[in-house]
Amino acid sequence: MLYARIVGTATSTVKHVSLAGWKLLVAQPLAADHKSSEGDPVLVVDQLGAGVGSLVMITGDCQGNRELLGDNSTPVCWSVLGLEDERPR
Amino acid sequence: MRIAKVIGSVLLNRSHASLARAQFKLAIPLSLDELRDPSDPQGDSIVVYDELHAGVGNLIAVSEGCEAAQPFYPDLKPVDAYNAAILDRIDIDNSI
Amino acid sequence: MFLAKVTGSLVATQKNAAMRGYKLLVVEPCRVDVQDHHRLIAIGRTLVAVDTLGAGEGEMVLVTQGSSARFTPETKDLPIDTVIIGIVDCIQVDQYKVFNQE
Repeated sequence: MLYARIVGTATSTVKHVSLAGWKLLVAQPLAADHKSSEGDPVLVVDQLGAGVGSLVMITGDCQGNRELLGDNSTPVCWSVLGLEDERPR
Repeated sequence: MRIAKVIGSVLLNRSHASLARAQFKLAIPLSLDELRDPSDPQGDSIVVYDELHAGVGNLIAVSEGCEAAQPFYPDLKPVDAYNAAILDRIDIDNSI
Repeated sequence: MFLAKVTGSLVATQKNAAMRGYKLLVVEPCRVDVQDHHRLIAIGRTLVAVDTLGAGEGEMVLVTQGSSARFTPETKDLPIDTVIIGIVDCIQVDQYKVFNQE
């Protein structure tokens, strides 16, 4: 699982059938300082209501993502597993 | 899935039997800065299995690793990068 | 997948029993040069790959890495993570042919 910030959204018309109806978000994995970027951003599917700016944990578990999308042939690699609660200031 | 820019194509004159008639595209995965301006990506090019007919200049969603072969389930093919979507539009929040 | 040039072969008499009878090639991964998109350059690494297609030294090949390397009938029982899945005829970047098999 990775700690990431949602930095954008993406839309697609021509796509693998398993992606139909799913919101695609752009997630940037974060480095140890919890601010700077670590590696390339990835596309994630989300059913929890994450939005741009959200801090999330994303999972790359193949089996879990197949179950989430209900499709054994999905190429989806990442999904939002949880939204971080706001930290007290 | 990382986001990559299609820059070209690869034609094979011999391939593994399971990949006959497959299309392969050359693409460069994008960093966050390159997503804001994808005109001149600097990363290492990769070769992506493509059945969506992406064109040069398109931004695509690339599945990597074992998920890349999952669309062929249960007859998996030796594919480690797969074009899962051609992206129409990407909006990145510049305040982040 | 990535592009690679076959730079040699590897012979090992002592090896994992499952690997008997398989041809092993040494390959050098290549990428498009970011300074000049119409040129391929070696990235300076070297890998050993199983070859089931009969590739030869000097040829450009397409290589699959990771657990996907086992997703062929020939390699499914082998303890390998790098396999040659194609021999390249030509590579086009934008409108330019950056590689053409002679």
